[in-house]
Amino acid sequence: MRFRHGFRAMMPLWLGVAPFALAYAVLARDAGLSIVETQALSLLVFAGSAQVSAVGLFGRGVGGLEIVLTTFLLNVRHVLYGMSLGRVVPMTKRERLIGAYLLTDEAYGVSVARGARSFPFVLGTEVSLFLVWNVTTLVGALVGGVIPDPERLGVDFVFPVAFLALLVPLLRLKVDVAVALVAGVAAWLLAKWLPGGVPVLGAGVSGAFLGAWLTR
Amino acid sequence: MSFWPICLAMLAVTFGSRLTGLLVRMRLPPFWLRFLHFVPIAVFAALITPSLEGSRGEGGIRFAAAGLAGVVAWRTRHLALTIAVGLAAFWLLRLL
Repeated sequence: MRFRHGFRAMMPLWLGVAPFALAYAVLARDAGLSIVETQALSLLVFAGSAQVSAVGLFGRGVGGLEIVLTTFLLNVRHVLYGMSLGRVVPMTKRERLIGAYLLTDEAYGVSVARGARSFPFVLGTEVSLFLVWNVTTLVGALVGGVIPDPERLGVDFVFPVAFLALLVPLLRLKVDVAVALVAGVAAWLLAKWLPGGVPVLGAGVSGAFLGAWLTR
Repeated sequence: MSFWPICLAMLAVTFGSRLTGLLVRMRLPPFWLRFLHFVPIAVFAALITPSLEGSRGEGGIRFAAAGLAGVVAWRTRHLALTIAVGLAAFWLLRLL
């Protein structure tokens, strides 16, 4: 389970990530961000849905505090990923810092689903996504033009299908299926009122709580 | 609007969230170990359902394509193949 294995394991998701980054970059330029600013968010924050929300708020001239709070709400779910990943993959202090900087839904998902036990594999999945996200951001920022609509192309569908592919092999017992059903329905309901990352955090915590309680 | 202070604050809250979980190294009671065992299952399910339907009134064919992809995932456990079949089915059903 080396770096290159992790890097390759992430490649099927590129098809979904690239159009998303392209759309983000064009939206950012339309909102008045410079090319350097557009790229800086991808390099420094590296969080797709938070970046798209932020540039939308920038474009409407919303205050900085609201932008930062929205970013926090959308991204606080990563606490859960860190706790879960830190349990199964041994890491040194420095590896924790680098691993945390590049942590995403997708890297967490692929690493846990593939039973990663080594940091290089995790880093491979993370760098794989970071590279494609940033290269496509640059292309979108430089070329600009018409905003590609991932939903019209249908490639936004890559994400739910990818996480379905990661979920199915984990469903071994009835309690696993129960947890997945409850968390899935909870997230679907919460998503009607709350922004992106919050339903994942809420449904993730309540689903895992239910599982721990059912197996007491 | 000053971009850079906001960008750095966004970095701080995002990196902070990502690092906090990785730095937690307490000895956990059994209940919380089981809790963490169920986190991937609950989180993956929660990442699927809100984006499954889409916003273009294609819920029906997206559910059908996801159902087929689910069967492929169950039989093969192959990520790339599952994505390929799911996407191909979605595009084909769109044409019909």
